[in-house]
Amino acid sequence: MRKLSQVWLPTLLVCLATAVASAQSFRVQCPTTTVTHPTAADTEPAYVGPTYTGINGYGTTPAHVNGAIKCQQISGGDGYATMGDGTQTYMFSFGPLSGLADIANGQPGTEVPGVFNSVYGGTFAPGDPATSDGAGPGPNGPTKLSYNGAVGLMADTTGNTAAPSTGHVDPRPIEDVGVMNGNIPAPLMAIDEDDEFFLTLTNVGMIMRPDLFEQHTVHFHGYPNASAFYDGVPDASVAINIGGSFTYYYLAPDAGTYFWHCHITPPEHLQMGMVGQIYVRPRQNRVALGTSLYTALSTQQGDLRTKCDSNTDILCSNPLPLTNTGATQSTDALTGQPYKYAYNDGDGSTAYDVEYPIQIHGFDPNFHFVGMTFNPEGFVDMKDKYFLLNGRSYPDTVTPGPLATISADGAMHYSQPLPTIISIPAGGRALLRISDLDVTEFQTLASLGIPMQVIALNAKLLRDQAGNNLYYNTNSITLGGGESLDVILDTCAVRASMTSCTTPMATGTYYLYTPNLDHLSNDAENFGGLMTEVHVN
Amino acid sequence: MRTTKMKKAISNVRLFLAPILAVALLLTATAHAAAPGVKGTSFGLAASAAFISQPDGSLVYSWGYACSSGGTAAPFGPATGSACGGTMQIPGPTLIVTQGATVTVTLTNNLPAAAGNTSILFPGFDVTTSGGAAGLLTQEAAHGGTVSYTFTASTAGTHAYYSGTQGDLQVEMGLYGAIIVIPSAIPANCTSGLAASNLTAEGFWGETDFRLAAAAYNHPKACYDREYLFQFSEMDPRIHRQAEEQVVATAAFCATAGDTRCQLEVATEPYHPAYYLINGRSMPDDMDPNYAAEYPHQPYNGNPHMHPGEQVLLRIIGQGRWQHPFHEHGNHVRILARDGNLIVSQSDPVNSLGGPLLFTTTTTPGVAMDGIFYWTGRGLNWDPYGHKPASRDPLAKLPCTPDANGYNTGAPTAINYFEWCQDHNKPVQTAPFGDVADGGPVTLPDANIFTNGAWYGGSPYLGPNATLRATGCSAGAPAGSCGATGSTPPSGTIANPPASEAGFAFMWHSHNEREITTNNIFPGGMMMMMLVDSREFQIDETN
Repeated sequence: MRKLSQVWLPTLLVCLATAVASAQSFRVQCPTTTVTHPTAADTEPAYVGPTYTGINGYGTTPAHVNGAIKCQQISGGDGYATMGDGTQTYMFSFGPLSGLADIANGQPGTEVPGVFNSVYGGTFAPGDPATSDGAGPGPNGPTKLSYNGAVGLMADTTGNTAAPSTGHVDPRPIEDVGVMNGNIPAPLMAIDEDDEFFLTLTNVGMIMRPDLFEQHTVHFHGYPNASAFYDGVPDASVAINIGGSFTYYYLAPDAGTYFWHCHITPPEHLQMGMVGQIYVRPRQNRVALGTSLYTALSTQQGDLRTKCDSNTDILCSNPLPLTNTGATQSTDALTGQPYKYAYNDGDGSTAYDVEYPIQIHGFDPNFHFVGMTFNPEGFVDMKDKYFLLNGRSYPDTVTPGPLATISADGAMHYSQPLPTIISIPAGGRALLRISDLDVTEFQTLASLGIPMQVIALNAKLLRDQAGNNLYYNTNSITLGGGESLDVILDTCAVRASMTSCTTPMATGTYYLYTPNLDHLSNDAENFGGLMTEVHVN
Repeated sequence: MRTTKMKKAISNVRLFLAPILAVALLLTATAHAAAPGVKGTSFGLAASAAFISQPDGSLVYSWGYACSSGGTAAPFGPATGSACGGTMQIPGPTLIVTQGATVTVTLTNNLPAAAGNTSILFPGFDVTTSGGAAGLLTQEAAHGGTVSYTFTASTAGTHAYYSGTQGDLQVEMGLYGAIIVIPSAIPANCTSGLAASNLTAEGFWGETDFRLAAAAYNHPKACYDREYLFQFSEMDPRIHRQAEEQVVATAAFCATAGDTRCQLEVATEPYHPAYYLINGRSMPDDMDPNYAAEYPHQPYNGNPHMHPGEQVLLRIIGQGRWQHPFHEHGNHVRILARDGNLIVSQSDPVNSLGGPLLFTTTTTPGVAMDGIFYWTGRGLNWDPYGHKPASRDPLAKLPCTPDANGYNTGAPTAINYFEWCQDHNKPVQTAPFGDVADGGPVTLPDANIFTNGAWYGGSPYLGPNATLRATGCSAGAPAGSCGATGSTPPSGTIANPPASEAGFAFMWHSHNEREITTNNIFPGGMMMMMLVDSREFQIDETN
């Protein structure tokens, strides 16, 4: 296997790079200014008022510029991951082509233009950032890679030194980094309400499956009022061929826990691993200290885009709370930062101290083995044997840092960057952004010891049209493929208020695990599966 | 390497399916769904056997209900014959009744003798029976016999009915259907204001109102402009094959009354379905018309269309034995009710709803739900109609006059009725090729590195006018510009033609993605395309 790939891979790479270079169809897009964000800003301004007021819109000067521009680049291709029992598993997968250092650090690879558009000064090695980080042999030595810009960005051939703004890229580093570099889950994305998001998908090809001329797409699952063009369904739009890039453009939708995946032959590409997470943070995070949260939500009613009037819009989920609780934005004593919220609640009820995105998934080893070769894959007999939280099974879920796997190119790759260690300061509240992209069955996740409070379903706050919160406490949640919800784990035994805890729970280790007991396994190993630890400290 | 050929076989199936799909859609481009059924108070249903067709070419032995008497086709029926045409169908006839009415269903057991007794359950209703033989859950009809069920349609909304006898076999074989109860009173706001304005718009474009009512419930938040009914079920072909074989094998015994060998011994476990059905059909068959001649026993389709701003009622029932996470692309769904029980706010039940907003409405066996969906494009941050104030085309310069909620609702006869005005004229492309506004944030790649989908409208824009302008194909465009970008009108788009429809297509499907296959073939199963059409396209729900 190793020998074979040493012979074939360079040949394939050369062929691909040649074709790509002549077509010049890789490209990234990350403008520093737009109609919506007329001045270049790499930070989120405080939210003090609506972008447009009344019935005004495009053509009039915005009353306030809110949000910022955010960009990300990902590869669509293939790669390898290691299952909990040590089995090396082949995947169709997305990998990071921006925010390499952030992704390896478990953070979103979503960057502001000032970071995204910076040109890399060094030379990428195949397998980067793992190679440069010393996970494998590489030219750069064991210096941690810190670059977060768009891989491949360079001055264009016309000699334009302001190259980053033209999005001109050199395909060679993109292939060096992108080939066989797929992640499970796919690169994490996070944006804020009012952001414009430019996501560039670059199709680097699937080296192990040269028989498949597969396109890839990105479907932003759950985005309200999406356009068909950017919805990522190949049947309803365009799909990007190997050797090309496509930039998806969205104004951030309402805050919530969404997720994304490829929509080409979904039973195949999703099972094979083309699944990822994206969440949108609320405007309420950006209000000034001391501001009434109720007033801040009332202010949002002044812009028809961000307004929620249950009498005229049956699909708005966060009307003003029934009563004004008097909650104000304050500093979180546990983190020293202003409080963060899952939604624009207007009453502080979705405040949290720490947040963890968790994606549930399942791998059928037979399907993946067959998928690495030239076999047809049957769908009726699909049966998951690996049950994954953020692409790992227990005990790998509690291994800190990125997990590296050697791929058929002989290089180590950070294919499983996300541990799922839920670390909560005692007395604090953790927001779990849970999504499920299993393609065969429903999965249950239970909490031992710490109650789960479900505050939102499918990226919408649980609140009725009259403003009553419909949150509920439970010890388990059940999701099918294509569903998400938000859970708060509160480690305060006796709570004085949303922002202060009288008696914290005991410190120590608690567990999240699945009561689908046959899912507590790693294929033949009768131990592992859908489980992780919660550390209260 | 030994299996190279097999992979090729799969690819061939994929390739093969595409043209079939294309032709099928071409032939039926104007036929759409709604919630067809039979209206009345007294219905005769005959349980009987027939073969249903699946897109992999198989004919599956099944049992279903035929409308044998009573009921009128409402609001519309098949092009020829009657909706109560006496033919066994899956799902069974949708019974449309009015809240408060006394409903009688008389069941005749025309199943093969070996199938034994059969019966119908009407969950949620207080049923009295007449005739038949005693069964475990209700009175049953013996082979060739009848039984009557009478109940008051006490609650409005969508309900299920299904066999109450040996359900693991009989429901699997297809003995299930829906009851729609129209509310006894309609709130005033559902027939005035925007609801009336939508009717004006429909009328202007020659569309007929096919709603069963103006509201799903007697509640001011339950108004709707369009409706669709989807029933989800699976099929394990081995069960059907066993039943078929045993019916043949026992026929001789069944000729003698009382022969104990006249019975079926079908193993219904382990359960291993290969077909995943919406309204008894798999994709792409579900997008063919209601009552299409090629599916004599599967009259109901799943082919939703809507215009921007229309409130669309989804009636969804889980009729099989598995749950299916049904994902609606394009927007969320407000759940109105479960099994005909409206979910309202505890503090303001008269005016406020309490059901969740879901982008995945999981279907559950035995559960019926009602929900409202709409699409308006609010928040896109670009004008989907591609308006351009400097264009020569007057349709590119239509005004957008926002109402109090920001929508262009004052012009029901305009093609941009219900446009979201905050983004009016706002460009998406930096330097577009065609006659649409420029200065936007994105540059589209060379169209030659795309693969076009069959439902791609031909451009990022909504509707024929915008699409033709965006692709250099509008009247007055420079000679040779049409198609000059290599993409347009894209040759691949046959299900959503750029010059006549160019809608925004959204896939609605089971997100247990294994279920969007038909007996191992992708695409298939529980999948359909929903189209949001600009007003230029006439949504015709006749058959």
